[in-house]
Amino acid sequence: MKLARAIAVLGTAALLLTGCGAGSGGETVDQAPSGLPVQGETIKYDPNTLVNDGKPIELEWWLWDGQEKFQAFADSYKKLHPNVTIKTVNQPWESYWTKLPLQLQSGKGPTLFNIHNSYDATLDPYLEPYDIETSDLEADYTGAAAHVVDGKVKYLDYGLMTGLIWYNKAMWADAGLTDSDTPKTWEQFREVAKKLTKREGDTFNQAGFNFNGTYQSLGFLQYQRGYNLFAQDAVTPTLDNPGTVQTMQYFLDLYNVDKVGSKDFGPKAIESFGQGQSAMVYEWGHLNGTLKKNYPSLDYGTFQTPVPDAAEAPYAFDRYNGESTPGINKGASEAEKAVAQDFMKFFLTDKTDMKNLVLNYSLAPAYKPLDSDADIAANPVVKAMGSLDRYIWPGPMPATFETSITKAWQDVLYNGVVPETAISSAQKTIASDLAKTKFKSAEPAYAHYAPSPR
Amino acid sequence: MTLSLRRSAPPAPAPTGSKRRAQEKRRVRTYPGERALRNVVIIIVAGSLLGLTAYPIGLAFVGSFHYWNPLVGAFDFVGLENYTTILSSADFWGAMLRTGGFSAIVIFFRVALGLAIAAAIFSKVTRGKTFFRTIFYMPTVTPLVAVAYVWQMMYNPQTGAINTFFGLDLNWLYDPQLALPSIMAMTIWKDFGYAVILFLAGLHAVPEDALEAASVDGAGAWQRFWRITFPLLAPMTVFVVITSIISYLQAFVQVLVLTKGGPGTSTQLISYLIYDKAFLKYDFGYASAAAFILLIVTALLTLISFRFATGRKSSLEG
Repeated sequence: MKLARAIAVLGTAALLLTGCGAGSGGETVDQAPSGLPVQGETIKYDPNTLVNDGKPIELEWWLWDGQEKFQAFADSYKKLHPNVTIKTVNQPWESYWTKLPLQLQSGKGPTLFNIHNSYDATLDPYLEPYDIETSDLEADYTGAAAHVVDGKVKYLDYGLMTGLIWYNKAMWADAGLTDSDTPKTWEQFREVAKKLTKREGDTFNQAGFNFNGTYQSLGFLQYQRGYNLFAQDAVTPTLDNPGTVQTMQYFLDLYNVDKVGSKDFGPKAIESFGQGQSAMVYEWGHLNGTLKKNYPSLDYGTFQTPVPDAAEAPYAFDRYNGESTPGINKGASEAEKAVAQDFMKFFLTDKTDMKNLVLNYSLAPAYKPLDSDADIAANPVVKAMGSLDRYIWPGPMPATFETSITKAWQDVLYNGVVPETAISSAQKTIASDLAKTKFKSAEPAYAHYAPSPR
Repeated sequence: MTLSLRRSAPPAPAPTGSKRRAQEKRRVRTYPGERALRNVVIIIVAGSLLGLTAYPIGLAFVGSFHYWNPLVGAFDFVGLENYTTILSSADFWGAMLRTGGFSAIVIFFRVALGLAIAAAIFSKVTRGKTFFRTIFYMPTVTPLVAVAYVWQMMYNPQTGAINTFFGLDLNWLYDPQLALPSIMAMTIWKDFGYAVILFLAGLHAVPEDALEAASVDGAGAWQRFWRITFPLLAPMTVFVVITSIISYLQAFVQVLVLTKGGPGTSTQLISYLIYDKAFLKYDFGYASAAAFILLIVTALLTLISFRFATGRKSSLEG
């Protein structure tokens, strides 16, 4: 008996220590709030209701970045519904995409989780559709229509992002450059990069431009030359095209011919830029949040990606992508899902926290009531993006594109592989990986779509 | 809690031979609850092994004959396709060769450094033995991820301690000639302390009289080491080598943190390839097949090491 009791006590202690058991938090609420303003434009959120019958409940919300900004939504919601605790859990990007799908697959995982649309096919089976009319979502959110599947929306974009050139303002001024020197073409860019470079022989003190490790951003600039990533069937990848080779060769020449940077100087462009070693880098808008967090004293500016010919509008400046709203775990309990549905209505209509989130990542807002927001419009990154009319969205790009393109660029830069061979190899890998999926590109939906070559 | 013998044998005349052994066998002391505790422990251990090791291995074996993506519910029988694809893949063979080279070099230096430092610490002229033991063992107990991140900073070509200290201008983790050796160096630094401790334990077990007899016969320090100490350390050396083989064929964390297999695939070891296929591309069938090939290779190498050790022991005894 003593042994049995000891085992029972140990077992209970182990369960308690490992945190097993139903999550609950907050206080019990007896009465629904009253007199609180209803928020939202087309989608409405009425906080004057009792959530989860007023009983305490705790939800987990997994994410890989921006914890503070996302937690702000949860905190604002808790002020309205003190019985609901939504706890954000930050996971590093790499482990996020290992742990989350496996948790969801085993019927567990967080009730809410952030989504990157490159993992659309992986996450889709585990997503509960939003309990909101799709017409309302389309009315309030730019691009929501692209996320409607079988009359339902499982997630949509809260902001849109693309690539830009980021420059160090102090270095810019030190080189005698002014706003009027902002390059519009890649040839002008080359000259500006030369002026920003400081080196003694082959030893760099300052790179004019650094693209080490940012290949997944640079790797889609073939659009500027009129080449799509997919054939007209929107299924067959066509990365292996003259536009990709020309783009890669241009950037290689910057290092090898113009010597404005080096593969061996600042092996990670973003770190090198943040540490004040490199004057310019090419990266997407989310860099704004990274720089503010990791290099708060850095004074930087941005300008729109140059094009081959300033006199002619490019086929597209670059691709853009959406930052996605959280998904609801289909495998969560009914009570958790009901609270999550209520929270998502709040999330999608919470203008204040949405504005802060959008500004954190320097996104063009998808929430239409923020379209004319002065602070967002004045954000230098958003301003530099200009109109999204000449940016193409190829769809939620499968991860194989970024990994294969990165490998190709690394092979060319460090392993001495010629661009044509590296790109051809990447194309084969992508084709092989895509053959196992049902991916279909959204390129044909681009307003200026033309089969390549134009 | 009080412990008492369940049954004690009455005093009897001292028996001899097999009769005494049989009596001792019968007089096994058991304590209240011991049998139940033993059963519970065995059930837990056996259950854990079955549930957490045997079942996943079995599932992976079956999965290796399927196109298996559990995230979208795909589990389609493809026969030997995963194995034939792997065995005709340049990436796989490249990863296997790199893994073999990585393991051989790291194990060699782990054993050589571990033995040399253990011998130095064991020497009668060395003072502060505890201090040195602690210092050399410290990297072993430091988490590999933390060590890898620190070394990543040290390897930075512009701001890293290594280039700064030695006045070099090398891109350690991105030069394809240097990247894998850089990972090896970090791994050796992290792990040789383990071998030091094991060899120290082995050195303490070397009979003093054998060494003294050799001295009397005129053997020098070098001869005593090679002719007596080293052969007597053979079981420990084999143990270090076998545990190292098993460990380094699965080397993964250092690659993930330092290079992610790059540049290109210059540092892609077999475990990273398996990780890439399973957890980045969610092709669990291919990854399972690759894991099974790795399992067979590991088992074969371990068997060869055991055979070698057994043969050597027989020849020493014979």
